[in-house]
Amino acid sequence: MSTSSCCEPAIELVGLTKRFGATLAVDNLSLEVPRGSTLGLIGPNGAGKTTTIRILMGVLSPTAGDARVLGTSAVADPTRVKQRVGYVPEVQHIYRWMRVGQVIGFCRSLYQESWNEETCRSVLDLFALDPHKKVKHLSKGMLVKLSLLLAISHDPDVLVLDEPMSGLDPIAREEFLDGVLRTLCERGQTVLFSTHTLDDVQRMADTVAILYEGRLLVHGNIEQLVATTKRIRVVLANGSRPDQVPAGTVWDRLDGREWLLTVRDFAPEKAQQVRALGGVDHVEVIDLGLEDVFKDIVKGQRLKGVVQ
Amino acid sequence: MRIDPRSHVPIYLQIADEVRAAVAAGIYRPGEVIPSLRVLAIDLQVNPNTVQRAYDELEREGLIYSQRGKGLYVAEQGAASAHRRALDTVSRAFDQGVRCAQAAGMSRTQLDEVFQSAVRRTYGDGSQQA
Repeated sequence: MSTSSCCEPAIELVGLTKRFGATLAVDNLSLEVPRGSTLGLIGPNGAGKTTTIRILMGVLSPTAGDARVLGTSAVADPTRVKQRVGYVPEVQHIYRWMRVGQVIGFCRSLYQESWNEETCRSVLDLFALDPHKKVKHLSKGMLVKLSLLLAISHDPDVLVLDEPMSGLDPIAREEFLDGVLRTLCERGQTVLFSTHTLDDVQRMADTVAILYEGRLLVHGNIEQLVATTKRIRVVLANGSRPDQVPAGTVWDRLDGREWLLTVRDFAPEKAQQVRALGGVDHVEVIDLGLEDVFKDIVKGQRLKGVVQ
Repeated sequence: MRIDPRSHVPIYLQIADEVRAAVAAGIYRPGEVIPSLRVLAIDLQVNPNTVQRAYDELEREGLIYSQRGKGLYVAEQGAASAHRRALDTVSRAFDQGVRCAQAAGMSRTQLDEVFQSAVRRTYGDGSQQA
C-alpha cells in the first residue's frame, strides 16, 4: 500500500496485543482513525489506554500486532512516527532544571527544519508561558501547556494526548482545550486522546472507543451509540424479575418493583417485547447521555465477569 | 450560545438549534455574518468538525449561505426558516415533559392544567394575547 494514499487512515491498530507477564494489558485490539477525525479513548483504570498509546508512540513494543501512523509502523520505525506525531504523555518528562526557553531551544534543535517558530511563539503567547521560568517551578497546568506547545510546534499531522486534562483546574483545562482547538482549526490534525471525562469526549471526539481489560467493547460514532442505546424502566407487579431480557441488553438491575435495563441497538419492538412479558405493569424508555451509556456497558461487563 | 455535553441530543444538533434560536431572536439578521467555524469552536469548546456539521445542516435548510473566502451569512428567508425549525425544538422539549408526566402517572387533565399554567406564567392570563 502506498504511504501517501489519501484514504488510508491516519492511525491504524492491527491485532495489537501486549502481555506483561501473566497480564494481558491489550488484547487483540484493531481500530482505525480516519484522517482529520478525533477519537476519544475511554475505559476504566487499567483498561489498556496508556499501554496502547505508548505502543503507538514507539515507547513500548507490542507482544503481537502492529500500530501504524500515516502508514509508518511504530514498531518498525518509531523515530519516523515520533517526527510526525505531537505527543502529550500522561506524565511529563521535561528536564526539570531547564528554563522554559531552554527546553524550547532543545526541541527546536531536535526537529530542525520541521520546527515552526511562528506556531511556537503564538502558543507561547496564548498560554502566557514565561521563557525564563524554570520547569520545576511550573504549575501542573503550565507544565501540560508547555508539553502541548512542544507537541504541536513541529506542525505534526497527528496528535496523541494521554489524559492531558486530568488533574487540571477548570481554568487551566479551558486554556489547554483552547490551545488544542486553535491548532485543530488551523491544521485539521487527526487526534487520538484518552480521558476519564465523558464531557471532553462529547466536546472533542467524532468517534469513541471503549476499552475494558484490554479489549475493545465499542468503537464507533458517538451520536449513533447514544441514539441507539436506551434505558428501559419497567414497573413489575410483584417484583419478580422476568427470565427473559431483550437482545442487546448490556446491563440490568432489579430494585423492588423497579427493573432497569440498558439495551444497545434499541428499537421500539424491544420495548414491546418487555411490555408483553408477564407481570409487567408499566414500561418507559429513557434517553441516556454518553456517560450513562459508558457506565452501563462497563458495569455490565463487570457483572458478566462475576457470573463466569 | 451554549451547549450541554451531558445531553443525549448530539452536539451538532444543539449548535444548529442555538444558531436558529439566535436568528429567530434577531441577534443575527438576514445579510449579516454569523460567527466563523473557528470562533464558535473555541467559544463553545467543541471540535471544529462538529461546528462544521451544524453549519452544513443550516446551509442545507437554507438558513445560512456561504460566500467563498468571506464567511457565512444569514439568508433573506433565514428568520422565517428559523421560526419554523424553532417549532421542532419546542416540540422536542414538550415530548420530554409529557414522558416525564406519564412516568409520574399523571392524567391528561392534570397535564393540561400544568401546560395552561405554564403558558399563563410566561404569556400572561390571556387578556393581552400575543
